[in-house]
Amino acid sequence: MIELHDVDLDYGARAVLKDVSFESGNGEFLGVIGPNGSGKTTLLKAISRIVPPASGTVMLNGRAIGDFSSRELSREVAIVPQAVDPGFDFPVRDVVMMGRYPHIGRFGSENDDDRVTCRGVMELTGITHLADRSIREISGGELQRVIIARALAQEPRLLLLDEPTAHLDLGQQIGILQTMRDLSRTIAVIGVFHDLNYAAHFCDRLILLHDHRILAMGEPAVVLTPDAIRTAFGIAVTVRKNPFTGHPFISPLPVPDSGAGGRGNVHVICGGGEGSALLQALHAGGYRVTTGVLAVNDADYTTAATLGIPCIAEPPFSPVTGRSLGELALVLKDTGAVVLTRGLWGPGNIGNLHVLESAQVRGIVILDDRQGEGGAWDFTGGEAAAAFSRLAAAGAVTVGDIPSALAAVAAITGEGR
Amino acid sequence: MQKSTPFLILLFLAVVASVLVCTGIGPAGIPFFGLAGDESASIILFSVRLPRVIAALLVGCGLAAAGAVMQGLFRNSMADPYLLGTSSGGALGAAAAIVFLGGAFHWVLAFFGCIGATFLVYGISRRGGRIPVEQLLLTGIAVSMFLSAILSFLMYSSGKSLHQIFLWLMGGFWSVGWQDVWIGLLIVPVSLALLAFSRELNIFSLGEEDALHLGVDIEFLKKALLLASSFITGLAVAIAGSIGFIGLITPHLMRLIVGPDHRVLLPAAMMAGGILLVLSDTLARTVGNEVPVGVVTAFFGAPFFIFLLKRRYTG
Repeated sequence: MIELHDVDLDYGARAVLKDVSFESGNGEFLGVIGPNGSGKTTLLKAISRIVPPASGTVMLNGRAIGDFSSRELSREVAIVPQAVDPGFDFPVRDVVMMGRYPHIGRFGSENDDDRVTCRGVMELTGITHLADRSIREISGGELQRVIIARALAQEPRLLLLDEPTAHLDLGQQIGILQTMRDLSRTIAVIGVFHDLNYAAHFCDRLILLHDHRILAMGEPAVVLTPDAIRTAFGIAVTVRKNPFTGHPFISPLPVPDSGAGGRGNVHVICGGGEGSALLQALHAGGYRVTTGVLAVNDADYTTAATLGIPCIAEPPFSPVTGRSLGELALVLKDTGAVVLTRGLWGPGNIGNLHVLESAQVRGIVILDDRQGEGGAWDFTGGEAAAAFSRLAAAGAVTVGDIPSALAAVAAITGEGR
Repeated sequence: MQKSTPFLILLFLAVVASVLVCTGIGPAGIPFFGLAGDESASIILFSVRLPRVIAALLVGCGLAAAGAVMQGLFRNSMADPYLLGTSSGGALGAAAAIVFLGGAFHWVLAFFGCIGATFLVYGISRRGGRIPVEQLLLTGIAVSMFLSAILSFLMYSSGKSLHQIFLWLMGGFWSVGWQDVWIGLLIVPVSLALLAFSRELNIFSLGEEDALHLGVDIEFLKKALLLASSFITGLAVAIAGSIGFIGLITPHLMRLIVGPDHRVLLPAAMMAGGILLVLSDTLARTVGNEVPVGVVTAFFGAPFFIFLLKRRYTG
C-alpha cells in the first residue's frame, strides 16, 4: 500500500534520509526506531508529503503521492504529530470535527455521517466526556488523545504516529498503543517510538534507523539485537525474552567505572537470582568480579554471562562437582574478598560452603537481606546453617543490603593495599 | 454554532439601531423622525451625517474582519490588520499625494500604498513557493519601519502640508461623502467572501503543519486571505486613514463572547466593528470640536487592550 524506493531526503546541505526503501500495508503495525536525529520524524514527513524527497519515489496504492491533491491525500493518510500548540480555545468536539475537513471541503457542511464518525472516534480514544471542554483547559495527555481522535476522524487508510504516547502516563500509553494495535488489523499504522520495549511489544515489524539509513528491518526479535542497539544508540544492553509475552525485552547494562577491575578481586557465591543485583553493583563499582559455582540455568549465571563476569559453571540441575570446587579453591586463593548471599542451600551446592570454609579467605561478607524473615533456606539438615554460624564467628561481616555490602567490600579490599 | 444565532441577530439589530440613533445625534441636534420638509435639516441628515455614519460602519466592519483573519492566520490574538505594513504603506501613499499632488487622489494613493506594502512583504517572505508565517510577520515589521522612515522624511520636509498629513494619520470621517460610501460598499462582498474560508481558518489557527495534515491547501489559503484582507484594509485606510484598535480589539472581544469558530466570529466581528466605529465617530464629532476618531478609539481601545493582556497572562 505504501512503498518507498531509494528515498534520499535533505534539509539544504544536511542529508536526513539516505537510500530508504520499504513497504507496508493493511494489517501491519510498523515501528520506526532509532536515536535522535536519525531521521524518524522526517521519514513520516516524507510519507505524508510534508517534505518532498530529493530523489526516490513514495507510492501510495500504486500511485506517486505527488499526484494526490491535498484533500485526496488527507483522506488516505493521517498523521499524529509529536506536539500540538492549542492556540485558540476551540472545544474538543470542534477540533475532532476538523478531521472531517478532507471529506467535507470548503463549501460543504457537516452532516449526520460526519457527526457519527466523530462520536465513534471520540469513544474509541476515550474523550467523549471532554467534548465540550476547551482544548486549552485539558491536560497534555488528553490533548494528545484529541489529536489522535482528529486523525482517526479523517478515516485514513494509513495512520502515521510520531511518538504518539510522549505526553501520556503509563496506563494511557498502554491504552492508546493497544487501540493503535487493534486499528492496525484493518488499516496500516506506522509509528515512531523512543521506547524500544513498546516498539517490540506492539509492532509487527520494526525499522531501525541509524545515521539516516535503515540499519535493520524485520520482526522485533530480528532487529533488536544487542549489536544493532550498540551500533545505533551506543549503549550496551541485554535482550531477553519477556517471559509473559515472548517479545524481546531490552534493558540497559550498567556502565562500569572508568577504572574497571582496578579496585581488586571479589568473588561472589550466590544462586537462585539472589546475586544478580550484587554482581551488577560490584561490576559497576569497578571490581574484578568472579562468581560460582553456579548452574547454567541459574538466573545469576545469565547475569554473570551478560556482564562478562567469569563464572565457574556446572550443567543444569547437576550437583557441584569436585573439579569445579577445585577451580573455586584456586580462585579464592587470589581473591581480595568474598561475598556470600544467604541463598538456598541443598546437597547440590553445599560444596561451595565447604570450600569457602577451608580456603581461609581474609575478608568474607555475608549478604543477608532476609534478616528476621522466616522461611526454609537450609535443605541440608542444618549443615549450611552451621557453616554460616562458623563463618560469622570467624569474623565474617553480615550486612542487610547491597550498599552496606559494597561498603564492607571496600573496607576489606582497601585494607589490603 | 446554532447557539450563537440569537447573539448574531442581536448584533444585527444593534447595527440598525446604532445607525438610526447616531444619524440623529449631532451639534445641530436634529431629531431623526421629526424632520418635516425642512431642507437644511434634510441636508444635514442625508448629505452629512448619514454617509458619515454608513462609512464608519463599513470601515469598522472591514477593519474587524481583516483583524480577525490576521489573528487567525498568525495564530495570535494580538495581530491586527496593519501587521504587514498596510498602515504605513497607506500613510506614505496619502502623504505623497498631499505633498506632491496637493492632496488630489490621496485616497487612491493610500489604497495602493496599502496593497503595495502587502505585496512587498509577501514577495520578500516568499521562499521557494512557500511563505512561512514567522517570516511574513518579521518582514512586515521591517517593511513598516522602512516605510515609516520615508514617511517621517516626507513629513519633515513637507513644510505647510505637515498639518494635513498629521490629520490624515490620525484618521477621521470629517470629509466623507456619499462617494466614499460607494467605494466602501466594496468592503462588504470581500468580507463575506472571507467567510468561505472560515473552516480552513479554524484548522489553520491550530497550526500550519496541522492544517497541512488535514489537507488544507495552506499556501493558497494564505495568499487568498492576505490578498482579501489587504484589499479591505486598503479601502478602509483610503476612506478614513489608519484608525487603530478597531481591528485589534473587536475580534478579540467577540472571541471572548462567541468563541474562536471563524464561521461565527467573522460575522460577529464585522457587525461589532461597525457598531464600535459608528459610536466612536459619533463621540468624536459631538464631544469638543471634531476630535479625530483615531484619538477616541485609541483612548478607549488602549486601556481595554491592556485589560485583555492582563487577563491573558493571569489566566
